[in-house]
Amino acid sequence: MEQLISIELPRLSLVLPELVVLLTGFVLFSLDLIYKRINHALAISVSLVGYLLALLLLVFNWGMEGETFYGLYKRDSFSSLMQAFMLLLTMSLLGFNYLYYKSKKSLYGEFYYILSFALIGGMFLVSSYNLIVLYVALEAVSIAFYILTALLRSDFNSKEGAFKYLILGGLSIALASYGAGFMYLYSGSLDLRYILTHVGENQYFLVLGLVLFLIGFAIKIGAVPFHFWLPDAYQGAPTPITAYMASFGKLAFFAPVVRLMPLVQEHFAYAWITTVAIISALTMLYGNLTALVQKDVKRLLAYSSIAHSGYILAGISVAEVIGLKAVIYFLLAYSLMGFGSFMVLALLERVPGWENKLEQFSGMRFSAPWLAFSFMVMLLALLGIPPTVGFVGKALVFMSLSFERLWWLALVMIIATGISTGYYLRITVLMFMKEQTNSLNLSVSQVEKFLILLFSLALVLLGAVPIILWSFVSPSAENLFMR
Amino acid sequence: MEGFPLISVSMILPLLGVFVILLAKEELSKWIAVFFSGLVFGISLVSLFSFDFSRADRVQFEEKYALIPELNLSLHLGFDGLSYLMYILTTLVSLVAILWSTRDHQISHRLKEYYAWFLLTETFLVGVFASLDLMVFYVFYELTLVPMFFVIGIWGYKLRLYSAYKFFIYIFVSSLFLLLGIVSLAVQHYRQFGKFSFNYFDLINNQYDFTFELFMFLLFLIAFAVKTPIVPFHTWLPDAHGEAPTAGSVVLAAVLLKMGTYALLRFNIGLFPIASVYLMPIMVLWGILTIVFASWFTISQSNVKRFVAYSSVSHMGFVVGGMFLLNAEGLRASITEMFAHGLTSSALFMMAGFIYNRLHSFNMQALRGSIKFMPLFAVLVAITGFSSMGLPGGSSFWGKFLTIVGAREYTLLLAFLVVVGAFFSAVYVLYLLKTLYLDTKEESRLVHFTDLRGFKLSAFLLVVIPMLMVGFLPFLFFAFYDPYIDSLLEYLVLRVMGG
Repeated sequence: MEQLISIELPRLSLVLPELVVLLTGFVLFSLDLIYKRINHALAISVSLVGYLLALLLLVFNWGMEGETFYGLYKRDSFSSLMQAFMLLLTMSLLGFNYLYYKSKKSLYGEFYYILSFALIGGMFLVSSYNLIVLYVALEAVSIAFYILTALLRSDFNSKEGAFKYLILGGLSIALASYGAGFMYLYSGSLDLRYILTHVGENQYFLVLGLVLFLIGFAIKIGAVPFHFWLPDAYQGAPTPITAYMASFGKLAFFAPVVRLMPLVQEHFAYAWITTVAIISALTMLYGNLTALVQKDVKRLLAYSSIAHSGYILAGISVAEVIGLKAVIYFLLAYSLMGFGSFMVLALLERVPGWENKLEQFSGMRFSAPWLAFSFMVMLLALLGIPPTVGFVGKALVFMSLSFERLWWLALVMIIATGISTGYYLRITVLMFMKEQTNSLNLSVSQVEKFLILLFSLALVLLGAVPIILWSFVSPSAENLFMR
Repeated sequence: MEGFPLISVSMILPLLGVFVILLAKEELSKWIAVFFSGLVFGISLVSLFSFDFSRADRVQFEEKYALIPELNLSLHLGFDGLSYLMYILTTLVSLVAILWSTRDHQISHRLKEYYAWFLLTETFLVGVFASLDLMVFYVFYELTLVPMFFVIGIWGYKLRLYSAYKFFIYIFVSSLFLLLGIVSLAVQHYRQFGKFSFNYFDLINNQYDFTFELFMFLLFLIAFAVKTPIVPFHTWLPDAHGEAPTAGSVVLAAVLLKMGTYALLRFNIGLFPIASVYLMPIMVLWGILTIVFASWFTISQSNVKRFVAYSSVSHMGFVVGGMFLLNAEGLRASITEMFAHGLTSSALFMMAGFIYNRLHSFNMQALRGSIKFMPLFAVLVAITGFSSMGLPGGSSFWGKFLTIVGAREYTLLLAFLVVVGAFFSAVYVLYLLKTLYLDTKEESRLVHFTDLRGFKLSAFLLVVIPMLMVGFLPFLFFAFYDPYIDSLLEYLVLRVMGG
């Protein structure tokens, strides 16, 4: 309690990147108000400059650590790493959106500042232990996502997806805040670190609170059985936004759970392992089995995203530092794979008559060899063929499962991965081994081509030389475990 | 050649070839591939002079590059006698496969990709046999799947897509068990020594309680039993071999199957000696059953490629059975048979491809008397057939003979079972030779057949000559792995007695 009385000056240097992003958001907002119809080149360059500046501030102060605003906000290597990836993903997204929305005749100025508000929400979400901050940040990301999902104004699916997302997202936030209430009731504090180390009466308040809180997040990450919104929202959303939700969204929504892991390890290890492992097994199996029967590739990738939530949860179930490393690695790996693969679809959607049907991929190797090759790399990475990031992620998860001797979960993961072979290979086979059925009239900008190739290269490079990513992941995981 | 990075050069050269192919013109790609694979083969032959055979149980040509120091994960490459022999087999068979492809009618489109995949396979295979780090081994082991998947799926025969799927899924899923096993060993090392390690020589020091060791043995075994393959895990193989283009089948049978047997020997026996000794009777009987069943399956085939494919399975039975006899003769038989089968299966698949190019059929009945007007071809096929059957002077003779000797060391009954197996495996070869030579067919079609020439002849000779060398000069080959076998047996005794 003493803490509250002493006056602490906020260390703004710790939140400088966030402030820059926030400022960028407001500048974009004002620009959109001033010019009735914003110049897209201007909006993109303002966003890029802002995000780049934030990224540079992050990179040049990499070792920066500390807390500010009376412990509401924490910067450590984990949050820096996540934020750097978030910024990179957002910048890549800007390279894709213009031509996409133009072809869909749905180009609006709101896009840019809503995006930056989503980003700021995500950046706060990865760097706090405080329930209020988490709640606000969660809302910021979610509301931005609802709007972004609905942004194809003339498209029924887009609105339907957004509606479903809104309802279930609202439910998840309600549950999370309800859970937060119980946790406060138990401990009289809003700081997760304090709540989970606090020893008080009525322990069931804590358990109930934690469970509700986690269910809120489970809905957000699409863990079975809380996944119903995900395929529809992913399919209905404009494809670049789907990519963003799959990559950025996973990073943002998993981060608080990752922060919880070290705390949980001390007190609830057994219950945690069992519960999360069961959810993980269900998620892996359901995601892969359902993906196997999809005819629509966008929906297929949405289910594959659910399955990947399952793999990541398998790592989370092992509340040990090795599990944490696996989780962070896999999260970053999936953010690259998910983003890249949905972006390929975003490019293809500009082809007249394209409906994301499986058979439309036939013979893509002949009409767009570079795209087919990149897509193959991404699919193989999702499958976990070495030497890609997906493989390293899966190997690390296996390693942590072996560490905890969760053999049955490892077996489920093997089966699930085996099932996933079917659909990833099917697309590869269609692209490379079938005759061409329709000619692809693909018009792509140089930036988009460059970004797609860059992503597929990164998937291989970061997997073949795992030390690059590992040297960031490992210290940040260890850092989370040290208090 | 002192200090010459043999392994990384052998791995980088084919990669370089891939880049040159991608930049060059379509028609040139085959010559580029021939050049680079020939170069690697040449280097592997020259390296024979700098390999110290007296210390073949030690790792030579060692190279080490750290990947993740924290996990002790490094690109640790090196050859001892066993892997060095496999390396030579790899470079030889890669050259043979590429030479053959240059004159194969099946390979007429997408040449750039085709040869690029083959060169990539060579890189990965060298990586498999050279890796002394289990994780790196796994990476290369998995990687070999990708090129073969495309080779079967794009240039294969009718059922190519089905076979490609089956091949990929079988091996991919089974090797996930291997991955789980490998990381578990690293974790076990951590529990005992306080640090993770994937290095073979670190992991060899791990101690396990018995059930855990058995469990680990089984995890590894699932992967390698499918890869080898042992009956009943063999069903992917006839499809993959039957539908792959000739060169694909050659590489598959000659080297890719050896990855399984090589790994069984190196990892299953090397890392889990107690479990190996415990499971020895089961494994040996399993090997013999594989021989017998696969021989029966072989005779009932009407497609000559599937025929050869099933015969590969039966040979693998000898390799596995011999290996798990766990005595000097058995091990020597097993390794000799690995090498010998690499040669004979290559030649037999080339035979099938050669006849297909003329008759456009793999049907055994259509082949009747088909070699009548091709004397040179007929001679080479006869040598191959008899070698594969185990006739003295042929390459498989030592494999079969020594297995029988090794089995006799235990009981007469076991040796008798091996003899029965050998008998069955002789039956199908004789059946094949009978169909090719003695059955008759209207001669009007056969008169036009031209004999082996040029590249195809050289490809054939490249495997037939070593085949005879194994048969007549086996000691040349024993020199590769005798020290290895001695040290392995010594180690086994030490571990089993000590544990």
